[in-house]
Amino acid sequence: MSGLSEEAARLRVDLADAARLIAPVWPIDRFVAVNPLLGLVERPFDEAVAEARRWFGAAGYPGDAPLGRALRDGQVAVGDLTAAVTARLPGLVEGSRRDVRGWRVDAATVVATDLLHGVGAAVPRVDPRCAAERFDAAHGTAVAPAVDGEVGRWCALLTRPGHDGSPGDGPGRAYARWRQVVRHERRARRLAGPGLTLAVEEAPEAPDEAVLHALERLGVHPTERVDELRGQLARLPGWAGWAKWCDDWAGPEDVVPRISLMDLVAIRLTYEAEVLAHARTGRAGAGLAPTVHSMPRVSGAAGGVTPRDRARAVLAALALDEPGEEIFGWAERLVTSPTSAERGSTVLAALEAGHQARLLRLLDRPPAPVGSPVAQVVFCIDVRSEGMRRHLEEAGPYDTLGFAGFFATPIRFRPVGSVESYPSAPVLIEPDVEIPERGAPGSEAATAQRVERRQARTTAERTVASLSHAPVSMFGIAEAGGWVLGPRALVRTLRPRARGERHPSTVVVVGRPDVPGVGLTGFELEERVLVAETALRTMGLTGGFAPLVVFCGHGSTTTANPHAAALDCGACGGNRGAPNARVAAAICNDPLVRDELRARGIDIPDGSWFVAAEHDTATDSVTVLDRGTVPATHGALVDQLAADLVRAGSANARDRLRRLPGARRSRSAERQVRARSGDWAEPRPEWGLARNAAFLVGSRDLTRGLDLDGRVFLHSYDTDADLDGTALETILTAPMVVAQWINAQYYFSTVDPDVFGAGDKTLHNPINGIGVLVGVGGDLRAGLPSQSVEDGEGPVHEPVRLLTLVEAPRDRIDGVIARNPILRHLFDGAWVRLVARDAPDTAWCTRLPDGAWVPILNRQANSEGAAS
Amino acid sequence: MTHAGLTAMTKIEVVVSGEDVPAVTDLLTASGAAGYTVLSGVSGLGHGGFHQGRLHFNDRDALRLLLTVVPVERADALIDALRAVLAKRPGVLFVSETAVSRPEYFA
Repeated sequence: MSGLSEEAARLRVDLADAARLIAPVWPIDRFVAVNPLLGLVERPFDEAVAEARRWFGAAGYPGDAPLGRALRDGQVAVGDLTAAVTARLPGLVEGSRRDVRGWRVDAATVVATDLLHGVGAAVPRVDPRCAAERFDAAHGTAVAPAVDGEVGRWCALLTRPGHDGSPGDGPGRAYARWRQVVRHERRARRLAGPGLTLAVEEAPEAPDEAVLHALERLGVHPTERVDELRGQLARLPGWAGWAKWCDDWAGPEDVVPRISLMDLVAIRLTYEAEVLAHARTGRAGAGLAPTVHSMPRVSGAAGGVTPRDRARAVLAALALDEPGEEIFGWAERLVTSPTSAERGSTVLAALEAGHQARLLRLLDRPPAPVGSPVAQVVFCIDVRSEGMRRHLEEAGPYDTLGFAGFFATPIRFRPVGSVESYPSAPVLIEPDVEIPERGAPGSEAATAQRVERRQARTTAERTVASLSHAPVSMFGIAEAGGWVLGPRALVRTLRPRARGERHPSTVVVVGRPDVPGVGLTGFELEERVLVAETALRTMGLTGGFAPLVVFCGHGSTTTANPHAAALDCGACGGNRGAPNARVAAAICNDPLVRDELRARGIDIPDGSWFVAAEHDTATDSVTVLDRGTVPATHGALVDQLAADLVRAGSANARDRLRRLPGARRSRSAERQVRARSGDWAEPRPEWGLARNAAFLVGSRDLTRGLDLDGRVFLHSYDTDADLDGTALETILTAPMVVAQWINAQYYFSTVDPDVFGAGDKTLHNPINGIGVLVGVGGDLRAGLPSQSVEDGEGPVHEPVRLLTLVEAPRDRIDGVIARNPILRHLFDGAWVRLVARDAPDTAWCTRLPDGAWVPILNRQANSEGAAS
Repeated sequence: MTHAGLTAMTKIEVVVSGEDVPAVTDLLTASGAAGYTVLSGVSGLGHGGFHQGRLHFNDRDALRLLLTVVPVERADALIDALRAVLAKRPGVLFVSETAVSRPEYFA
């Protein structure tokens, strides 16, 4: 094999296999919520969680604390908990009960009480995962964390601007640069010993050959190679995630600092082999002192508490004082038998059963149809749209719909004045159509001036930001520039508010010019028709058009927030949704498109006009875009809608403030949310998608007027207009998959913030436009900051797996699942719970992992949910 | 297979899930394949049941067909590596003899 030995080819296969453990990490300026166990989704949820425990030492289930909070808040009933215990631990509790002085006590009650009042079960330690950990376990050293520190430092150095891997910088360059420099570095030799220089010189030039060489030095047999590589990657899952994104997701047009997985393991293994060789000589320096234990920490250990203590606590909670030795023994056996995983999965089942039962009770009412709306406003399915939709419908004769916030327009958007475009689409697709933004006709000169001023300001801000983030120059910039920047900083600190900006008047160029050589910008007519038809059919809007139809994207304005993109639109790949809304509206107003749609059975009347808007989820304001293009006939309608959106925004701000820490009742809600948005010291400008729990596919009649507490992704769907299931297939295989990624990101960042979360925001150190470190070194931190999921007293996000509810014939749902492996994995593997009903007058049924449908009746709702 | 004036080569076709495409293209590139073709929207019935080919908004979870042509002497090692991929991942591999008119394009 030219350029690649057979052994090196096998290594590549093994590395790809090992890296399935690692989830990709997107650049932080287009943060994408990802299921941290994405590569394990083909396995059932419980097995994947067990793998995460083995390789990351991670807790994959909620601890007992969220359960207590949920019970106090009425989110879970005691019956939910005992039903979950019975469903998850049937062998332990079924038929087991005792009579104590005339009281009958069920085993399920004892176990449930232990979950509520107990101290948790001890979690077994994680076995050593890689050569350094095996050495540390045998010798009491700390080689593995020392290597982590060095490799993390080198990853940060190798991805610095100026050393970056532009598209022409292929795989292997990061390893080559490291190999060139490290042999001369004193710090590296201090750890690895004087032999490092020679070892690096002897290491092969090609990274794959270097990996094979190092594995041989470490004595790793080829049959053990995948696990060794897994262990190596699991030591630095953040940097490994970045490398995985570079390898598998980054496109040639992404100008970012790159490092490949092969580079990463080549550097790490070469280092580790030499450090271990040095350590074996016994002359290793203080760098290897075991200040930090090299094994991953384990959580939930019940240190010092005996089974008798736990039984006593449970029996006391049940008011069973001095019950006798036999009862004590029985209770001891019951509380100590479940493993930590069984306890966790039982708590999870109880939380999910409680949530499902509450939601189904809420939906148990006659449909609430709407009259003749003056406007149909299409919001993103994002859970933050739900409150705004409800309040807008209360404010006037409006109907609202839900659709993925890119509105079926996968584009690369090139803002006015920019030479670069960025992808604005779900990350599951690769947009290849570029949409440029230009000055509006008649205002090109004014637009150019504004763009120049904005670019100058952006350049200055970037310069200050880059200097203030560099370890050395940060002090200099404070000294030299403090007198200039100080007053501005003081004002922003004392009177924080969202900064308004006059945007230049622009248009988006949607159609592809019919001129040879113009370039691949814009959509051809057939593509424009496809976009419009797909969007309208999928959301079920194929007739009854209102005079005004609004595509309302969303974004979030926050300040000094490295994770700002996490609050923008996930369906737009972590960007603001305005460009896509503008493109979709322009397409639907195109007379040529309307003619074609009419021929396909979608008749948009001449009196209907499509408008774009953007909802700022941090300030609860909605901006109507491209007002200048609205015909005079619709001006008054747009003005009325804008006024009603202000009212809806105010009401939504009041709702949101009830949950945000530090809110004051005495102050105006609108001012408070704007102040939070502009406050650079505010760690929680908004809650984002915290508490997300369900994904509902159906008509708005199902939910209109209901307060769903901002926890449900709402996707519009007209079952009668989708007899072949095409629209349902699109909804379940794309928006629901993205919603599952978001749900899993919040879930895992909550159940184990140390492993899956990004840590404390106040300690974040943004690095190289990639992500954040906590402090000055260590691993890149993926996931959500702790302030995104907890309020300082405990988790705000209730960790439950996504519950998908569909109102459609179940045989249609089964057909869609049968032909899409991703849906079989998600539903059969219990990553997503699925509940459906054929029509409004039929019972909700839950789909079990074996594909059987079981009706949900009253209390059975809880036990079925618990069993899933 | 012999055709006057044509050069014998080996054609390799692989059908895998979109998420496994990077692993396969990495092998093709590293093995020195001069090029390859990727076809999206592959659907059909196979060992694992029916696979929907064309999803509106999800390229990652649909199947793709990758096709490359390599000189006969390079084929075995690449085939071995691809078989190793398919030992752990869903997909199918087809290998056939072919002939090309411009061998320098595939060297």
